[in-house]
Amino acid sequence: MPATLEQSFMKALFHGVIAEDMIFPFPETPKEERENVGVMLDTVRRFFNTNVDSKKIDQEHRIDESVLTGLKELGLFGLQIPQEHGGVGLSTHSYLRVMQEVAGRDTSVAVTLGAHQSIGLKALLLFGTADQKKRYLPALATGEKVAAFALTEPGAGSDAAGIKTHAELSPDGQSFILNGSKIWITNGGFADIFTVFARTSPAEEGKKPKITAFFVERGKGVTSGPSEHKLGIRGTSTTEIFFEDVVVPRENVIGEVGKGFKVAMEVLNNGRLGLAAGCVGLSQTLVKMAIERVQERRAFGRSIGDYGMIKDKIAGMLASLYALESMTYLTASMVDTKADYSIESAICKVMGSETLWSIVNETLQIAAGIGYMQDYPYERMLRDARINLIFEGTNEILRAFIALSGMAGPGKALVEVARAMREPIKGFGLLSDFAVRKARSMLGRERATRAHPLLSREAVIFEEYAGELASQTEALLRKHGRDIAEMQFAQRRIADEAIDLFGIAACLARTSRAIEKRGEEGARREIDLTTVFTAMAHKRLRQNASDYQKNDDELRKAVAVRAYQDGAYPFDLL
Amino acid sequence: MKILVPLKRVADPDNANKVKIPASGATIETTGLEWKPNPFDEYALEAALRLTEDGKAPKVRAGEVVVVTFGPKETETTLRAALATGADRAIRVDAADDKLDGHLVARALKALVEREKPDLVLMGKQAVDGDSNQVGQILAEQLDYPMATFAATMKEEAGGLLVGREVDGGVITLRVKFPAVVTVDLRIVAPTSVYSMKTAPAFKYNDGVRFAALPAIMAAKKKPLAEVKLADLAADQGLRVTYHGFQAPPARKAGIKVKDVTDLVNRLKNEAKAL
Repeated sequence: MPATLEQSFMKALFHGVIAEDMIFPFPETPKEERENVGVMLDTVRRFFNTNVDSKKIDQEHRIDESVLTGLKELGLFGLQIPQEHGGVGLSTHSYLRVMQEVAGRDTSVAVTLGAHQSIGLKALLLFGTADQKKRYLPALATGEKVAAFALTEPGAGSDAAGIKTHAELSPDGQSFILNGSKIWITNGGFADIFTVFARTSPAEEGKKPKITAFFVERGKGVTSGPSEHKLGIRGTSTTEIFFEDVVVPRENVIGEVGKGFKVAMEVLNNGRLGLAAGCVGLSQTLVKMAIERVQERRAFGRSIGDYGMIKDKIAGMLASLYALESMTYLTASMVDTKADYSIESAICKVMGSETLWSIVNETLQIAAGIGYMQDYPYERMLRDARINLIFEGTNEILRAFIALSGMAGPGKALVEVARAMREPIKGFGLLSDFAVRKARSMLGRERATRAHPLLSREAVIFEEYAGELASQTEALLRKHGRDIAEMQFAQRRIADEAIDLFGIAACLARTSRAIEKRGEEGARREIDLTTVFTAMAHKRLRQNASDYQKNDDELRKAVAVRAYQDGAYPFDLL
Repeated sequence: MKILVPLKRVADPDNANKVKIPASGATIETTGLEWKPNPFDEYALEAALRLTEDGKAPKVRAGEVVVVTFGPKETETTLRAALATGADRAIRVDAADDKLDGHLVARALKALVEREKPDLVLMGKQAVDGDSNQVGQILAEQLDYPMATFAATMKEEAGGLLVGREVDGGVITLRVKFPAVVTVDLRIVAPTSVYSMKTAPAFKYNDGVRFAALPAIMAAKKKPLAEVKLADLAADQGLRVTYHGFQAPPARKAGIKVKDVTDLVNRLKNEAKAL
């Protein structure tokens, strides 16, 4: 097994290996950082309480200039920019915690801040040269300049190969001439600096283009379209951006020429986590509203919180929120320890947006009539929450990503094993590795030995389905080989299993730490939420596992294809 | 100008129901309480910052603001927050919360003032936990300094302050010469309440206290925070106030509906004995 495998908890899991050392003990914030962030959160809360009116932002479709100025003065535009460049210099963990707080108070503000620093300037932080950082970061840290991330085009979203915007080296070789346009750019109306992805190779049929990332300052040839009218996050500025013969100096290339795809992926891997933290924040606000509402509202002489159907909803909300929060901050520590967290952050984005969507939907349902009225915040929060399932990679794209990038490792290993079998002597090491792993998975499953004994039932479910994920992966790869890239029904199941397994793993790690620190009674809440979440996940895991064998995938495909031909729902009962 | 601002942490007044009293009634249970700076002390800090700057360029500091608190190690969080907000230096007088009273704090502050020699001691009119409203007055008496209490406005002038206090029927303006003790009321953080000699008379502050900017919170770690033993400031640590017991206010009974006015009068007379 390749040594690099252990750099990613989820990638290892696809091999059937439970890399416990990567999640146990659950990361703990150092005391000093906790204190600092505590004071920061206090600042954020006070600022939002006195200055931010979400209803007004939603109605006026803009965030007041004075609010933006206030946010800038507080340093909220430079959260992860190093202190030497005028930022706050927060770790990923602390950054997420602050963004969680912001998103819990106003989604438009959170998305504006996120577009600026979760993705807009992230390429500079991750790939910028010392000179680029010195030139741009100080003004970005204070918010004097605002950043935006410009990848999407009408024909290219997650499919970056479809990018039409192109940059050509000028005759003197000193600059690139940029032409093209980008759509749905958050902060597009006022951003000063754009991270732009453009092709730097001629368009050739059937050939992957070379993509390069650039910093483009607003200036000659850069124009914004009008603000889009949106379902939610109405205070954010979303526009088209046009580039017409824009001269971009060569020193504004981010990373290497032709390596822009990698830049985009790294930025998005990182950015998705900010989005997950935002989902945690908004979910917490909603859960609080729901709990208050069910205790206030009376029906048939009792508060509705007394009724079983409501209790069932509240318990489900709490358990999935607990899992989401645990996964998000576990992944944050993976970023800070420089592990490979690409699958984990995609999982957090999918889980975050879907947990939030379910919580906002249930909270509105609990509020019932008033939930639907514009005089109350529920409908706005529902509209605001909806975007999370779409942007920074739709959840469908991300499920394919989770499945395929998880299966890539085992796929490669299988190919190598096949090759090694043809050259048995040279490949001896590899074969014996493979044999050991194979024997281990035949004899018994990988164990999650570091989970607290009080969680042994949950740990067994995790172990069982970790084994299931690995054997299913191997079976699919053996059966379909490269064609797995086309097998989206299977990808969806694999991804859902991976999401649930990561959720259980994060709960096991966090709750084990809680029990060790505070004992069984002290950690009662965590234990119960872990049990409830694991039971919810277990049902889905069982279903997915059995669906590999017995399903109606082919029939559903046929129904869809026929519908495409029919062009509409084909019946009328008239 | 050098200003000393005493700060006290108090149990979060918005979460007063978290205050628990054990059955013995001997003390107040402090574990699990959330602590906040006393709001009036925060106002004093804001006023001190306004006095040591030009309102339109607050990043350039003119003078020194020193904050001091009494309490265990955890109270340093309150001081760090004050440093992040703009204070220059902090002092923690190591003491146990329940071994202090207003008189002892004032005596210790007197010794500290003699060491630090500030031009002005600026403090909240009272802390919102005990509501004693006495430390400022005792301190001024002990130091034999001029004093103005419940300040609603302050205007710096050469060698002193013009202090406005709201009194029944109007505003009284006092001229105090440095060194002095001033305690502040909530109006002191209104937009036009405090003017240093550098701040233009037409300048208006934001209403309320300023918030600590996030980079300043990180930078506050580098600002000096000294620890002083209470014994070094007050040889006699005797208390003038002794607490005999604590009890929670009785839970309110549910109200009742009265039939008519006769019933009401009847009940007021016989049950409530209010008539």
